[in-house]
Amino acid sequence: MSAFHFEGLVWHWPIAIYLFLAGLSAGAVFFAIMLKHFKLAHEAWHSPFVQAAAIIAPVAVFGGLGILVFDLTRPLDFWKILVFYNTTSVMSMGVLVLMAYQLVLFAWIACVFQRRITQLLGKRLPIVQRLLNWLVKQEAAITGILVILAISLGAYTGFLLSALIGFPLLNNPVLPLLFLISGLSSGAAATLLGGVLLRGNPNGVEVRFIHGIEIPLILVEIGLLFTFFAGLILSGGQSQVAALNALGFGFWGWIFWAGVIGIGLTLPLAFNLWMKVSADRKFAYVAVTASFSLIGVFLLRNFILYTGQMTGT
Amino acid sequence: MQVSKRQFLKGVGALLAGASFYGVTRSPQADSTQAAEATPEIKYAMVHDENACIGCNACIDACREVNHVPDGVSRVKIERSGPFGEYPEQSYRFSRVSCQHCEAAPCVRVCPTGAAYIDKATGIVAVNSDRCVGCQYCIAACPYQVRYIHPETRTADKCDFCQKSRLAKGLEPACVEACPTKALTFGNLKDPESDLVKLLKAKPSYRAKVDLGTRPKLFHIQTIDGEIML
Repeated sequence: MSAFHFEGLVWHWPIAIYLFLAGLSAGAVFFAIMLKHFKLAHEAWHSPFVQAAAIIAPVAVFGGLGILVFDLTRPLDFWKILVFYNTTSVMSMGVLVLMAYQLVLFAWIACVFQRRITQLLGKRLPIVQRLLNWLVKQEAAITGILVILAISLGAYTGFLLSALIGFPLLNNPVLPLLFLISGLSSGAAATLLGGVLLRGNPNGVEVRFIHGIEIPLILVEIGLLFTFFAGLILSGGQSQVAALNALGFGFWGWIFWAGVIGIGLTLPLAFNLWMKVSADRKFAYVAVTASFSLIGVFLLRNFILYTGQMTGT
Repeated sequence: MQVSKRQFLKGVGALLAGASFYGVTRSPQADSTQAAEATPEIKYAMVHDENACIGCNACIDACREVNHVPDGVSRVKIERSGPFGEYPEQSYRFSRVSCQHCEAAPCVRVCPTGAAYIDKATGIVAVNSDRCVGCQYCIAACPYQVRYIHPETRTADKCDFCQKSRLAKGLEPACVEACPTKALTFGNLKDPESDLVKLLKAKPSYRAKVDLGTRPKLFHIQTIDGEIML
């Protein structure tokens, strides 16, 4: 059995990239909101980290949706998903969440950068100014809804797969939580990486704040991964076969142990703990830790998608 | 940023109002998974007698011809296992793999556009290819792995009991007619006088993967020759 081609395989790597990008977008937004709410307040708009998140979140979600559309066998008919709805379909409900998420995301970005946009516009386009002023008045509601939508989007990437009852590894109640938490940590990593690339201070308040959340997040993710596989093995039957098949030797076993556990979780955790004691954080520390985290989450999405489809009921 | 309680409640209220609006725009065809509609008079089902099947694949060829199924894909497969026993007393077991026309069809539940639906008049799980966008969610969701993308229409396809070809003319499905050993029986589960119901009442049958709650309507009569397997 080859790692990327086997009988029963329906969804290929484009879906894994889509799941990765959707979770990353939700995570970046989540951390940008946290940064603004707890640390930066009205100074948020000139923080390179908030700016990075404001670029990454829409680009990632557009990129992910683009990949999804081109992966359809009839890409030009994608509008039918927007017109016809099925309340029992996770995908259909996810599309609704995605549409609302993008709308509220842009409203939130407009709120945060209102002063900057007003400066740029000067006296032109008074309608846009009025719209911006109105949005800023609604900022509390917009922020609240965006947090709910971002968490929904992160969890949706897991529910999409856990609805597949024929594959015991995917049809697992822990999967949405695992994807939500790993999506949030990938968003944190992308925000950090983007922020330092935009010449943000690698020793600044934003980095310290995000790293402070990242360590508990990584620990929770390790716990969820353990629960995920322990639960499958204890279920017996095909669930056990699926779990042992995924974790054993072979291509995907290596991806899991070396990629997801080693590069994705252990090394960033070690770096983070180390950085906490050392006084100064440098560009390279932040960038390398964030890149490892991103690689780990990307590999996790592929690992779950492929090994999940290897073993049916 | 100050979040006042009133503003937050306003936001939540807007979200709930939006959520209730989705119910209005959902696709009606997909309701059949949970709706308790007036009991229809027809519910088609099929029995495959594995004792009678000789694995000649005549059903596959007939289906391909009648339903214009291109090479490389198939609506029905006969899975062969064995040989069992010592030569010359050897035998094979044959099992039909095709759409089970589940009462609680996972494909219908996951289809985002309602392209996969249960025909309320006949209980047949069908595909409305005009609505299908080819997301392949149904293919991944089907625990029996009987769905495929039709190479020409680029939409999901599978056995529909010849609903659009022979059933429309009042004929039995192509596979049933083609079977030389009469291993296939097609009929109406709601009709106690049908051959299908009489057969199901006369012989013990099983259905595949019932523990998933799919309530399939493809019945199998298990072969009794060969050896015992654990």
